[in-house]
Amino acid sequence: MIAMTHAGYVAAGWIGTFALLGGYAWTVVRRGRKLSRQVPAAERRWS
Amino acid sequence: MTATTSARTDAGAPGQPADGAAAAPAHTGSRATRVLGILALASSALLVLYGLVISPPDVEMADSVRLMYVHVPSATYLYLGCFFTTFASAMWLWKRTPGWDALAEAGAEVGLVFALITLGTGSLWGRPTWGTYWTWDARLTSTAVLTVMLIGYLALRRLDLDPGARSARVAVLGLLLVPNVIVVNRSVEWWRGLHQGSTLSRIDPKIEGDMLVALMVGFLALGLIFAWLMIHRFRVAWLEQQADRFDLDEALALRRAEASEPSDASEPSDASKGTA
Repeated sequence: MIAMTHAGYVAAGWIGTFALLGGYAWTVVRRGRKLSRQVPAAERRWS
Repeated sequence: MTATTSARTDAGAPGQPADGAAAAPAHTGSRATRVLGILALASSALLVLYGLVISPPDVEMADSVRLMYVHVPSATYLYLGCFFTTFASAMWLWKRTPGWDALAEAGAEVGLVFALITLGTGSLWGRPTWGTYWTWDARLTSTAVLTVMLIGYLALRRLDLDPGARSARVAVLGLLLVPNVIVVNRSVEWWRGLHQGSTLSRIDPKIEGDMLVALMVGFLALGLIFAWLMIHRFRVAWLEQQADRFDLDEALALRRAEASEPSDASEPSDASKGTA
């Protein structure tokens, strides 16, 4: 791990991937929470 | 205002759930997505362990091969997102039910996220391997075109149009995604370029041992994340449709209330005349 070649590229790729996925997931969950308050409970069919 | 309030209350306004919906959560999560989320996190940890620690460097690519463990699965789930959008678009054109429209939107948006990961990790892999972040290779160019199509699709969805007309237009654009996916997938065979051919879709795969396991764990982890995102994003799209519908109901109720106001307003003035 420490002696890894191209460590900068590998780190950028992995950190970028999980940062993008995490950021997008957080955005989707936040939008869902906001919209859930505007929509009647009967229309939220999941539990 | 009275009519608006009663319309919301009848359907079970937020904070005042309708009968039988008392347990409906104020978010897009469910027991299934919680389990899926835990599995996704656990498999992501396993991916980090296998992809960055256990798997050995490649003879030719050295450690940059570790980018492949997220790049190849991301490209696959980009394709899957496009398949969801095209299939749901076709179903929407046939059935015209809102659920298909929501699924098409979810597939395109989640697909775009995986497209950006595919392009980003591919560029970072290309710099040490090819000596450049970008080249107008057939695979790269067709993937970039697919990404632009997804951006265009999502931009079209946000245009302020009649909902029915907008859904019809985006559905037609959605139908074009899978043909482009086929072009992307076959591009390495149809045109000569820098990008390598298929690694796994052969009887004798080019990788084996811990590297193959790392790639498989990559497929598992990103597949679970893809599924989790798709479910949540579908529910968000569904909630957006319902919120729009309730806004329309509110607007109609308000218009009706305004239309009935002149006759209501005239009564007090008559009464006041009488009193005077």
